[in-house]
Amino acid sequence: MIWPIILLIATPFLIGVSGLVVRHRQTLDVLHCVQAGIMVVSSLLLVDEVSVSGPVSFFYFLHVDAISAWFDLVIGIVAGTGTLYAVGYVGEQYDRGHVSLKRFRQFFMLFDLYLGVMLLAVNVENLGIMWIAIEGATLSAALLIGFERSKGALEAGWKFVILSSVGIALALFGTILVYYSSEQLLGITEEALHWAKLHEVGDQLDPSVMKIAFLFILVGYGTKAGLVPMHTWLPDAHGEAPTPVSAMLSANMLTMAIYAILRFKILTDQSVGTEFTGPLLLGFGFFSVALSSIVLLLQEDFKRLLAFSSIEHIGIALIGFGLGGLGVFGGLWHLLNHALAKSAAFYGAGLVLITHEHKFIARVPGLLRENPAAGVALFVAGLVLAGMPPFGLFVSELTIAANAMAMAPAISYGFLVVLTVAFATLLFQILRMVLGVPLGTQISTVGPRCRAFSTAAIAVNLGALIFLGLHVPDGLHNLIGAILPFFHAEGEYF
Amino acid sequence: MPTLPINLGSYLVNLCSALLLLTCFAIVAQRRLMACVDLFALQSVFLAVTATLVAYLTGIHHIYLAAVLTIAIKAVILPRILKKIVRQLNVQREVSMYVNIPTGLLICGGLVILAFFITQPIVHLGFLLTQDSLAIALAIVLIGFFIMVSRLKAVTQVIGFLVIENGLFLAATAAAYGMPLIVELGIFFDVLVAGLIVGIYTHQIQEAFGSVDTSRLKALKE
Repeated sequence: MIWPIILLIATPFLIGVSGLVVRHRQTLDVLHCVQAGIMVVSSLLLVDEVSVSGPVSFFYFLHVDAISAWFDLVIGIVAGTGTLYAVGYVGEQYDRGHVSLKRFRQFFMLFDLYLGVMLLAVNVENLGIMWIAIEGATLSAALLIGFERSKGALEAGWKFVILSSVGIALALFGTILVYYSSEQLLGITEEALHWAKLHEVGDQLDPSVMKIAFLFILVGYGTKAGLVPMHTWLPDAHGEAPTPVSAMLSANMLTMAIYAILRFKILTDQSVGTEFTGPLLLGFGFFSVALSSIVLLLQEDFKRLLAFSSIEHIGIALIGFGLGGLGVFGGLWHLLNHALAKSAAFYGAGLVLITHEHKFIARVPGLLRENPAAGVALFVAGLVLAGMPPFGLFVSELTIAANAMAMAPAISYGFLVVLTVAFATLLFQILRMVLGVPLGTQISTVGPRCRAFSTAAIAVNLGALIFLGLHVPDGLHNLIGAILPFFHAEGEYF
Repeated sequence: MPTLPINLGSYLVNLCSALLLLTCFAIVAQRRLMACVDLFALQSVFLAVTATLVAYLTGIHHIYLAAVLTIAIKAVILPRILKKIVRQLNVQREVSMYVNIPTGLLICGGLVILAFFITQPIVHLGFLLTQDSLAIALAIVLIGFFIMVSRLKAVTQVIGFLVIENGLFLAATAAAYGMPLIVELGIFFDVLVAGLIVGIYTHQIQEAFGSVDTSRLKALKE
């Protein structure tokens, strides 16, 4: 069955282009609700399809194996709820007269394009085209981050453009090196960049080229994933971008960058063995978690707080992938639950930003009473992100820690220490916002339309988180079973 | 098929790659923004010549297309956009830099050595014709980074980025005989769009901050 993947990728492009001709706000709202529905449903169908009957191909262009299907699930669902939320959030700004109809349409064209290229990047067969799609995501994100055109937004956007361009250039050099190595085996054809072909001849690729290539790829795509020390654009961009964009940056773009790194990790491992890539991922992951766990405490701005929490969680997932074995399961499970929780937290934070018109953590106590939708979103997502049971991040962090304990106890102790610090700092900050007595500084309330859309988006995300905490669907179980062999990992999960 | 002996061809490709590297040094040594843009255009012409040579010597036709696109986009369109920006912004010279010019040139010399050192274990895999170009390409990429971090003006940072792109293109053409056509077209498109977006940003930064000095962009930090 081919249509779920076609729908998933084509919908955002088509609806994005329709923004050129559709001039009615109402029609755009309806179109984007349809888009949100299609994204969620088709990503679920795709997972079902791939987990039951194996990889889906579309000519030699798209190839959806278990790994792609997993990232389709993460990106597809969050992109769906993100679209719903954007309809409410940007619509509210339009109602308040902060954006004109023209800018409103521009926003959605860019936003749809951004989601479309990210979905393309994780499904495309050719590693060169994957680079092009990721660069496309960078460019559309650059315009989205600076969308509000305030001084802060322009500064964040400029930093993002410059740093990401450098990162993406490094990644291209890495891709060229892989091609340089593979065309010795496969000849000067397009197939020498096809992931499945490369995977077949992976063990014959020249190890020294693959090592250098992987370093470039890791630093290059790692810049997009916000790994410390290439993370400096990330808190600025997440802080200054319109909130739906912050949510998509955090939940989708970082995830997509990790996907790219994983593809190259699998290839490099085939050529040189896991002892080269493993420690690199562990190192970057560990520094990311360690730095962000402390910086979380210093944050005064709630959007930047969530941004640093993203650096932390991407670091944790990377530690899982670096460990190998069941750590891979931990990493995958972590990415899925993090994307859902972090976007829900941003949805809540966006509502607070609209109603208070500032981002100071200290000045918004008592959100649970003052603004229940935002309060519940931040509270539940905060618990999930801190790693409380029964939610998925608890399971993944526990798996990674246990796996580390079996393989290298020293890593496990260090991991548990930084994890505890991060738990305490994040929860402290979140609780300062959601508990207590409101200061009564709320300037306005949101309109009914914005409230309905954002509540729906938050409800879907939180519902999915609770569901995944209590029950693991068979489809996901099988999908993970199909992914683990790529990493030469095995074992009992769940 | 080529009528030139392979040795002569290899010399010519190396000569052109070396000229590309030389223009990098010239950009590092140049304070006037207009001249930097011109030097970048000149570098792109050298790049196109290298690509044409490789296409001729190997008989791989799609590299010709890449050479034509290089001339069109990197030697004509992007320099025009950049010059327009420079004229609008009314900044002609880069007065202050993080690193002065002689030190900068020395650092770039070090980067070239580093590039040869990094690529030493892998060049033997490459095609005989273009073996040394991979190291030169990496050197150009590294110098591009250096230009980006050592300059303050938005426009020169963009030139640094484009120099990196030229280095990458040299790597793809010379070391790997060009990426597959569809990939190459996509890369050209992305570079063009990146140039346009950066142009939009410089304009908006100028309007909001009254300057394109990126050292003023430092409100956001821990």
